[in-house]
Amino acid sequence: MAFDYEKYLRMEKIPHLWCPGCGIGVVLKSMLRAIDNLDWHRDDTAFVSGIGCTSRAPGYIDCNTLHTTHGRGLTFATGIKMAKPDKNVVIFSGDGDATAIGGNHFIHACRRNIDMTLIIVNNNIYGMTGGQHSPTTPIGFKASTTIYGNIDPSFDICLLARAAGATYVARSTVNNGRTLEKYIQKGLANKGFSVIEAVSNCHTQFGRKNNMSDPISSRKWIKDREIPLAKARSMKADDLKNMVITGEFISEESDMERWENYNRALEEYTKAYGDLIKKVKKKK
Amino acid sequence: MSEKIKLPDGFRSWEADVKIGKKEDKVTIGHWADGCKGCLICVDVCPKKVWKPIEAKNKYNGQLVTVVKADACIKCMLCEIHCPDFCIKIF
Repeated sequence: MAFDYEKYLRMEKIPHLWCPGCGIGVVLKSMLRAIDNLDWHRDDTAFVSGIGCTSRAPGYIDCNTLHTTHGRGLTFATGIKMAKPDKNVVIFSGDGDATAIGGNHFIHACRRNIDMTLIIVNNNIYGMTGGQHSPTTPIGFKASTTIYGNIDPSFDICLLARAAGATYVARSTVNNGRTLEKYIQKGLANKGFSVIEAVSNCHTQFGRKNNMSDPISSRKWIKDREIPLAKARSMKADDLKNMVITGEFISEESDMERWENYNRALEEYTKAYGDLIKKVKKKK
Repeated sequence: MSEKIKLPDGFRSWEADVKIGKKEDKVTIGHWADGCKGCLICVDVCPKKVWKPIEAKNKYNGQLVTVVKADACIKCMLCEIHCPDFCIKIF
């Protein structure tokens, strides 16, 4: 049965401004289905974003939404969550927004383990500002600021979030809408900081300079590089260069070594903060 | 299917009787031409070649698509899930 997206959208703003075939629409749809599966009420949910193509997403959702400064979506969201710990907070972010200008906020939000969900749409480039290379542009690929090919090694967002202490980390691509929905739903349900990376296509800025200027070839380029996490574990590092490893990096069921848990926050941040306030008040 | 199918305003629709596996079923495919930007992802993802691009264009200069084989639909919902513009509905 068709899903009723109109229930959650500001229909007067649709059609949206994203390019034809942009993957952000697919990610937005997956998230709306995940929210519907969890039966979240729109008055109890806030969507926060920074600046960028992805960050336009909350503008189309008929909920409590906040469009903030570049890279600072997470800081505004932390404020909302601290003031109203019983409400749900979801942050939309692009790769440039979350890992470049907001990189510091990103790792520290992971470290605090505050109960929010961050959805990063990784399209390998700064799309809105004119196609500059971002921290996730693969080596050898062209952007408007790397016209002879990029030489900067790229970030692995999931491993970064995992090392910083997020309690749910998963990655999928726009070719798998159902998997994306499943991961986002698990991330939203997780009581702690969740990071979901959705690898998306930007055929307008990234593809045009790298010989895949239509959405079909751009999506195929992502599909050809997908490798499941279980398979990647048994592969050599050289074979995994520029590949997209998909799966759940950290979840309740993930088989982590015991020593990998040493830095993981045991308690959710707003709960720990509430307990601290109670303790201090009692002393007085 | 007992409940009445209600497509939003502006959706064109195609109806057909389909056979999914051994089960007889009915399908209604809806397409919102005014919002379609013509990315042709639906044509690409459909495993049964239900969608086909046509010459006509809408006000966004998007190349429109049409349903050519509604009776081949297997309700896999791939086109609905992967349409970035909220333009396809399958009932």
